[in-house]
Amino acid sequence: MTARRTSSGGLIERSRTIGFTFDGRSYTGHSGDTLASALVANGVTLVGRSFKYHRPRGIFTASVDEPNALVTILKDGVREPNIPATQIELFEGLEAESQNRFPSLEFDLGALNQLAGRLFSAGFYYKTFMGPVIGPLRGTRFWMICEHFIRRAAGLGRAGYKPDPARYERMNAFCDVLIVGAGPAGLMAAEAAMSSGKRVILAEQEPHLGGSARWSGEMIGGKAAADWSQDLARRIDASENVRILTRTTAWGYYDGNNIAALERVTDHLADAPKGAPRHRNWAIRADTVVLATGAFERPIVFPGNDRPGVMLAGATERYAREFGVLPGEKIALFTNNDSAYRAAAALRQFGATIMAIIDVRAKISPAARALAEEAGVEPLLGFAVTATVGRRLTKVLVRRFDAETERLSGDARPIEADCLAVSGGWSPAIHLASQAGRNPKWDEELCAFLPPEPTQAWAGAGAFTGAVTTAEALSTGRNAGLKAAGKKLSRAKLPEVTAPNLDIHPASVFEIKGNGKAFVDFQHDVTVEDVRLAHREGFVSVEHLKRYTTLGMATDQGKTSNVPGLAIMADARGLPIRDVGTTRFRPPFSPVSIGALAAEKYGHFKPDRLTPMHDWHVEHGARMMNVGLWHRPMIYGQPGETVEQAYTREAATVRRSVGIVDVSTLGKIAVKGPDAAVFLDRVYTNQFSTLPINKARYGLMLRKDGIALDDGTTWRLGEHDFLMTTTTANAGRVMQHLEYVLDVVWPDLKVHLTSVTDQWAGAALAGPNARKVLETCVAGSAVDNEALPFMGLVYGEIDRAPVLVCRLSFSGELAYEVYCGAGHGKHVWEALITAGEPHGIAPYGMEALGALRIEKGHVTGAEIDGRTTARDLYLDWMLSKKKPFIGSALMDRPGLIEKTRLRLVGVISLDGRPLGGGAHIVESGDLNELGESIGHITAFCYSPALAQYIGLALVKGGKELHGKRAYISDPLRKHFGPVQIVSHHFFDPEGKRMHG
Amino acid sequence: MVERQSPLTPIFRPAVHSNDVGSISITLSEVTPLSIVEAACWPGLNERLTAAIQEVTGLSVDTTPNAGVVGRGTAAFSIGPDRYLVSGEEDLSARLARVLSEETGTVTDLSHGRTTFRVSGTRAEWVLSKLFAIDFSPAVFPVGEGRATAHHDIFAQIQRSDAAQFDLYVFRSFARAFWNTLCTAAEEVGYEVIEA
Repeated sequence: MTARRTSSGGLIERSRTIGFTFDGRSYTGHSGDTLASALVANGVTLVGRSFKYHRPRGIFTASVDEPNALVTILKDGVREPNIPATQIELFEGLEAESQNRFPSLEFDLGALNQLAGRLFSAGFYYKTFMGPVIGPLRGTRFWMICEHFIRRAAGLGRAGYKPDPARYERMNAFCDVLIVGAGPAGLMAAEAAMSSGKRVILAEQEPHLGGSARWSGEMIGGKAAADWSQDLARRIDASENVRILTRTTAWGYYDGNNIAALERVTDHLADAPKGAPRHRNWAIRADTVVLATGAFERPIVFPGNDRPGVMLAGATERYAREFGVLPGEKIALFTNNDSAYRAAAALRQFGATIMAIIDVRAKISPAARALAEEAGVEPLLGFAVTATVGRRLTKVLVRRFDAETERLSGDARPIEADCLAVSGGWSPAIHLASQAGRNPKWDEELCAFLPPEPTQAWAGAGAFTGAVTTAEALSTGRNAGLKAAGKKLSRAKLPEVTAPNLDIHPASVFEIKGNGKAFVDFQHDVTVEDVRLAHREGFVSVEHLKRYTTLGMATDQGKTSNVPGLAIMADARGLPIRDVGTTRFRPPFSPVSIGALAAEKYGHFKPDRLTPMHDWHVEHGARMMNVGLWHRPMIYGQPGETVEQAYTREAATVRRSVGIVDVSTLGKIAVKGPDAAVFLDRVYTNQFSTLPINKARYGLMLRKDGIALDDGTTWRLGEHDFLMTTTTANAGRVMQHLEYVLDVVWPDLKVHLTSVTDQWAGAALAGPNARKVLETCVAGSAVDNEALPFMGLVYGEIDRAPVLVCRLSFSGELAYEVYCGAGHGKHVWEALITAGEPHGIAPYGMEALGALRIEKGHVTGAEIDGRTTARDLYLDWMLSKKKPFIGSALMDRPGLIEKTRLRLVGVISLDGRPLGGGAHIVESGDLNELGESIGHITAFCYSPALAQYIGLALVKGGKELHGKRAYISDPLRKHFGPVQIVSHHFFDPEGKRMHG
Repeated sequence: MVERQSPLTPIFRPAVHSNDVGSISITLSEVTPLSIVEAACWPGLNERLTAAIQEVTGLSVDTTPNAGVVGRGTAAFSIGPDRYLVSGEEDLSARLARVLSEETGTVTDLSHGRTTFRVSGTRAEWVLSKLFAIDFSPAVFPVGEGRATAHHDIFAQIQRSDAAQFDLYVFRSFARAFWNTLCTAAEEVGYEVIEA
């Protein structure tokens, strides 16, 4: 094959030469080239190896439908595989590699697979699952041996391991009219819609607007079609109400006329501009959509049809006219319709020798005959290609063919050719319509599926509708644009189109039967024999055919193979194609980078949520941990301390003197309104209407099924004004729950809920010296036992900042929670630290907080785990008998009160080893006869107060097991050891210290 | 009273961050007002609520969804049925509470709980469209109107305070994360961080 650049012509900038490499070899191309056109121009026709058989493959198309020429791009140290060379714009320094070959593209060991071709026939993967019986190898065992090799061989290109440094973005857009495709139909639609003043988005997957007008060679409005399209594109671009998105593929059509589109922003640039994303994933909400997505040319299936040098006829024409590239010097064409004749004339015009036009039809249109004359060749009518010859194509063999009976006759006749351009007809690109419509309709004349009836607000235009001439594209495009804009159809004269009057309705010939492998799906190496095998083995439905043979899968999604595959199955079943049907197209239309889907969530999935004191914690050596979205101090470690030593020291300081912990993360909800107290009585298990102003009460909420939901204290700030606190983890869930019951169950209650979690900074001051610390820094209020009793609250100031001080304790010590405006949080925190310095105050983190609460047996989310009831946690004293509340109706169901339920206990490690969260508890000490699990550890720590490893657990029987010995079984951490089951109130069970 | 600290304190740096071609298309600033208040009423009493807002702020707010108005140093916009976010000078909460009786509704002070960012400039709509799935075009989102929406798990209430200017109210704890996201989104068009 002697592909080459023509001496003139094309839309490339010949004055700009661009250097690139392919498989390490340097080449040059021009601005405006794709990698595919530049490779063809350099005579590179072998570009990849096929998926299963590693057969040599060349470039087959000129667009997004390319099944063969998948390459790996090396950019910024990152490998990106499986990009069609036809979609890669050339830029200086582009590095591309062929794939699926070893050691080289020319000599690939994988090609040995062709010798075992029958082993890899349709369904081989599934058959391997079952496996033959060979000695001890049967079924699963056979599969397990094969799996290693299959997995190694599977896949197309090889991804790299380095993180992708590129940036991706999401973009939201709204418009009145979205037009997908900017060929002649799309451009006309855009012009019509924009003139009505509507907001229009025009999305085109190619870098330039114009579509087929760029390479049709036709005249529109008295100009070359390419010039006409550029003039119109300029006018559209100048309109303020149109946004043009080039290099943008609409890939998904979702409910509510939401269209997903991928814009390749910087792929065509050697260096991305600062801040520019590589890909931008558009979510476009359009009132109306015009689908002007054109049509794909189909191949004809015949033996040897995958040999490098075989190419779609439309692609050869596009390479010549748009890129000034001839894919061969001696070109033969094989067709079942007139469109290949235009390609023949174009190729001849650009300097190729047309060796033959082989047409399965007995008769052709006068226009086609005229084009054949232009091409300098007498067409071979009633002939078909039956074989190809050469490592790269050197000749084709043709025989007489009757299109009616599909019978071959006569001897094979060789025709010398280094390129065979094939046209099997055109299939409208109905992918998006299929996602937003009913079943596609088979058209006998066009031998293709036409768009379905819409189920969303879209209209079609141009070749997408089966209207394949440019004149029809202009009229249907304008009509669709006006219709989408809500305007009446226009009678104004359309631009005149000068084009050959071709008959592109093909003969209904999809396959030439003969000897040798004939490929239906090039990308997945699905042959005609595979389709027939699927039929013989009973996989006759199109859905089964796809899955059994992999026809139409992979990156090209069968753009060139679906219709021929269905036609062959229809032939095998003896049914018309319309009765065989087609699969529904799913998003994406073409591959979408994962980065674009993740967009700005790259590197992190959730935002960071920081308390007002965050910077203080970091500055003072806190090791931070994530608690939901929040960042909280785990420990304030000192040099050389382990985590356990650090939290032990911190917790011991609290018990001995005083400690301070940041509790700003607690959920806080303002509950206000005349019915606030009534509302709280209904959502809490205990009573809040009796709570005096300036007092707090511990409350428990249940779900309506009687399971515990959350606990926390709620403070009465006024007659109708409460401040509810929730656990950090459940803040959102509780808010949702409360809003739901207020909106849906009791809309008559006059209550407003507002999240004020971020309004308040909170610090808990705990320890025997806590009051002394407050006494030195709180102004405006006394904090002694009389002024501020247990569960009381006062207002005051700390270092000029207003504060709210509530006396309550999670640690079991004399303790206070000091709340202030979040903007004063750090200021108040530092004032409290200063005031506590004489007492050796220590900030403490989550670990110490946990140890202190475990010592006290206070529950958190680890115990209120969505399965436990108030009784399970021995909180039944909080279940009011005076009033109903959410959950009261169902909390006494038999299943929730039976004795075998898991209930809260304390456990002490008897072997001096730490316990493990989630470790099972068993009654047997015999490792070989463990018996059933009777529960599990929910929380554990080293207790500085008890100088032992202790934990909380949920076990069957709960309290009844107090004093019993059991064992923890924690195989994940390799720990099996004895524990003592005890009361969960380990420390100061009478609560003397916090009431002190 | 002690001064309120911004959640951006350690990372806020007024500076020019031009894009590759040296242009600046938007400015970013923190404009948290002294008072941010949520004022809400019981169903059917919206007109009484807007009258109270007008009495205190002088702003005449419509009762239609998304309605809002911007005044000198004060603003109000709807953030949901029967709810408005009102911003302005100190003591706004107390002043509103004085005129809004319990029979009409409630007032909740959020002055410390929300942080306000201002995005202004010719590409403000473009940058915000990267983050929020709402239509920022002036025809759909005119000056004064507000929206309650979310980005990346961050709840945000947005008011268009001028033709090419938006004020975004986010929860204080998310402010730093959102600010970083905003700056990243603005890099492409070039931005300047300015003092309010």
